[in-house]
Amino acid sequence: MIEEVRAHVKTLMEEGKIDAFVGLKDQDGNVFPYVFTRTEEVADGFSIGDLDGPGQARYPLARILMTVVSGNPEKKVGVLLRGCDERALNELIRWNQMQFADRIVRVGIACPAELAGAHECRKPFPEEFVAGQKAEPVENATVRDVIGKGLAERLTYWKAEFDRCIKCYGCRDVCPVCFCNVCTLEENALIRTGDLPPENPMFHLTRAVHMAGRCIDCNLCTEVCPAEIPLRTLYKRVAEIVRDEFGYVTGEPGEGKSPLNLLGNDPGHTSANE
Amino acid sequence: MTVKRMAFMKQLLEFSGIDPERLILKWVSSAEGPRFARVVTEFIEKIRALGPSPLQNSRLSAGSADESAKAQVNQ
Repeated sequence: MIEEVRAHVKTLMEEGKIDAFVGLKDQDGNVFPYVFTRTEEVADGFSIGDLDGPGQARYPLARILMTVVSGNPEKKVGVLLRGCDERALNELIRWNQMQFADRIVRVGIACPAELAGAHECRKPFPEEFVAGQKAEPVENATVRDVIGKGLAERLTYWKAEFDRCIKCYGCRDVCPVCFCNVCTLEENALIRTGDLPPENPMFHLTRAVHMAGRCIDCNLCTEVCPAEIPLRTLYKRVAEIVRDEFGYVTGEPGEGKSPLNLLGNDPGHTSANE
Repeated sequence: MTVKRMAFMKQLLEFSGIDPERLILKWVSSAEGPRFARVVTEFIEKIRALGPSPLQNSRLSAGSADESAKAQVNQ
């Protein structure tokens, strides 16, 4: 799979279709995001994040792309996209965070069923891909489990989960759609400095609110969380609410704006008074 | 925007195990003094019936009045 991607990227560079490629580099078994600018670089250390298993090393490449593209206004930039990365890119475009979207060349890869299953992925492939096979989407089971509990039981469950938080901000820092310059989670009046765990459940519910109409369900937050808090479950429910309430599905291509990014009544919520 | 956020918040609270009835939004104009009093009184009665908040250790219920007020202003 990696050879097909490598060859494709090399061809794009040689034909002058891209000046740079935002992807992953493997150096002595350590994989990290990297901006490739020469074909020789692609020949050595090129990675798609597969280590012992597929997709073990993933990064918010869409957000990194955002910085690369806006910082190099003359360049055409390619990017490595799994299904989740593509959803993140689409969502960033919808939130007006991606300048010069026409200069982006998408290099998609489809994830194997094993990876899709591990992340309960709703669409483990981008619209177009150069390597891999379409795997079946996987339904999420965890959200239903939590909904099945009673109200008080749910609070006990979440409080116990959130109590392990060490406030490392890893969930926010790895998030491909966290692009705000000023972050509420660092606002001292709301989230007091020095409290561990951070005020429970306010810290995590605050972040959950900010994920409404944004979270594209890449599962990076859960993957990086050192306390193993099931953030995926929380944000998956957030995405469900936004879908059911506003008919908005995050990460789809097109111009449609997130309901919480639009002032005005649409869609269909006009007044709090009866 | 606020109405949309409310529709979302109620369901998020429900999923988090907090009674969504503890959250309300009403529009009251500055010319509607009696209505304001009624809305607040009704809500107080409702909260009293629901009992103390299950978030006993949370700053918003246990913290000083000064800090709670500050947090609300900044929201």
